[in-house]
Amino acid sequence: MENKNLFQNLYLKQFNESNAIAYSQGFVSSSSNYNFQLLDNAYRNAGKTYAKLKIAIETNNCMSEDCALELTGIKNLEESPQASLDFLSLLISQLSVTEESNFDPNNNYKYTVANGLMKARPGFSKTDGYQAYLDLLPDGSQQISFMGPAFTKTMPDPYDPRFSIQVEDPLVVNNSSLRALIGSDTSLVVSTPDINKDMLRLLTEIGLFAQDMIGENGELRANAKITEEYVMMNTDGSFDYEIIDLGNGKGRNVLKYDLEKIEKKVTPFINAEVAGLMSSEQDVIAAWNVYISKDTSVEEDDQMAQNANAGDASWIYELDLPLQQDKKVLFEIKYKEYFMKNYLKQFTTNQLPTVKEDAAVFDLAEAKKAKAQKFLDDNDLN
Amino acid sequence: MSMVVVGVIGGAASIAGGIFGSSAAKKREEAARKERKRLQNKLNTLEANRQEIINPYEGITNLSELATNLSSQMSNPFANLSVATGAAEMKIEEADLALANTLDTIRATGGGAGGATALAQAALKSKKGVAASIEMQEKQNEDKRAAGEQQLQDKRLAEEKRMQGIAMSEGQRMQQADVAGKQFVFGQTENRQMQELDRTAAMLGASRQAEAQAGMDKTSAITGMLGSISGIAGAMAGGA
Repeated sequence: MENKNLFQNLYLKQFNESNAIAYSQGFVSSSSNYNFQLLDNAYRNAGKTYAKLKIAIETNNCMSEDCALELTGIKNLEESPQASLDFLSLLISQLSVTEESNFDPNNNYKYTVANGLMKARPGFSKTDGYQAYLDLLPDGSQQISFMGPAFTKTMPDPYDPRFSIQVEDPLVVNNSSLRALIGSDTSLVVSTPDINKDMLRLLTEIGLFAQDMIGENGELRANAKITEEYVMMNTDGSFDYEIIDLGNGKGRNVLKYDLEKIEKKVTPFINAEVAGLMSSEQDVIAAWNVYISKDTSVEEDDQMAQNANAGDASWIYELDLPLQQDKKVLFEIKYKEYFMKNYLKQFTTNQLPTVKEDAAVFDLAEAKKAKAQKFLDDNDLN
Repeated sequence: MSMVVVGVIGGAASIAGGIFGSSAAKKREEAARKERKRLQNKLNTLEANRQEIINPYEGITNLSELATNLSSQMSNPFANLSVATGAAEMKIEEADLALANTLDTIRATGGGAGGATALAQAALKSKKGVAASIEMQEKQNEDKRAAGEQQLQDKRLAEEKRMQGIAMSEGQRMQQADVAGKQFVFGQTENRQMQELDRTAAMLGASRQAEAQAGMDKTSAITGMLGSISGIAGAMAGGA
């Protein structure tokens, strides 16, 4: 299934970040009109309406019994300026999520366009065919409508079903609905959790590192090492090293870790972290789409122009919410893998011995000979 | 705030500025609220899925069963004492024999009836003596049996007391071990809970503070818009 949101959002992101508009002679040479005048237009007739209602009440010429409707109308109008300001600020706070660096492109792209329009970004002006209206509705609520080239949908041509046509499909947001949504801890546009920050913090919470390995910023110090409790030991209490080949006949000891024990230790903390994320399933989908599904390393992510995204493996907000149990389980498994592979692994591989003499580079052939001799000695095979 | 963006919103420039300022605060407030919810869920999960703490005293069993009550094996050695009637019977037989011999002699010597009567009385007296002897012996036996029974009861009681003492001391030990075990489990759980609670509570506190700060920022931004709002309201009134 073609994921229109993914393509449109990635296109818009790239468009904004590329500065390509600066090289569009058409744009540079023409004026752009961003005077949507949302409030001015919404309240243009409000004064007259307010006056009519007031007069009707004062002259006892109400249309409704006991002037109930007129009084409600007056009340709504008196409250509406504050409501408009609240509505617009709440809407902008939601739309601005589309500008975040780890924004999930699987969100509805129309919100990205609406944000561009509200922030007067190049390409979303009245001149470009966009329009926005704020309407005061009779029930006291308000709605904002965005229209323009990006707010269309494809429909079969009613005259010839073999073809399709683009029809207007405005983005309409009602203030009472938006308030209710936010009130229930649900976002119109989901902000992707900062998994990198979460996992760096998680490293300090899993109990593998001593307290003095944690810096004042709450993250692990550069020289942090997993405590010796998780390092493999020989029966005589010495470290059980793994020898790595450095080339040119030279080798070096590195610590071996009890990965099973480590996994057992960290799993409850990872599960708790995932449970925390599950408090908002839309956050889980965003984290999945942007980070977890591909389990790419942070280094790889940093090298990419944008964060990795799940592509075809994306979970779709409109289809996958509420999350089914199998997806929750899959998320938990992959989250753990992501953490182990991209954050914990660096502390369990190529760690030099803490015993100074054991940390020196040595001759591999001699080490092998010594190891063989030790085996013979230990097993009384001389 | 550029005039271009002011044009989008319309109204006075301070309105657009206030809306954007308020929206940023709202965003922070929402993020802090989400963070608080996430931390709360995480804390709940940590609490609900804590690893089991073992009770080191769990394997302790009640050893009082090892103590055997021996009282059932005790018996009264005097319970079945028999009366030694053999000698008495012999004495009676001897008396009867002597009486028969004497009677024969009396008959042979042509003795009178008076002698026979005296003899019979002597025999009776002898038998009475025998009966008294048996009775005395029986009484002695009865006394011994009673004394034995008393001793048995005393020993049984002593054994019962010993058993009760063992059971009580063992039960006490078990209870003390149980209490110590529970104290250990409680102590461990408490320590761990406190660590987790302290850490997450601190984070929760920070997120609440962030939420409250964002709320204040929002209020402040909205307050800044009030002048502009009154402008709109004034326009309405002007329309009237």
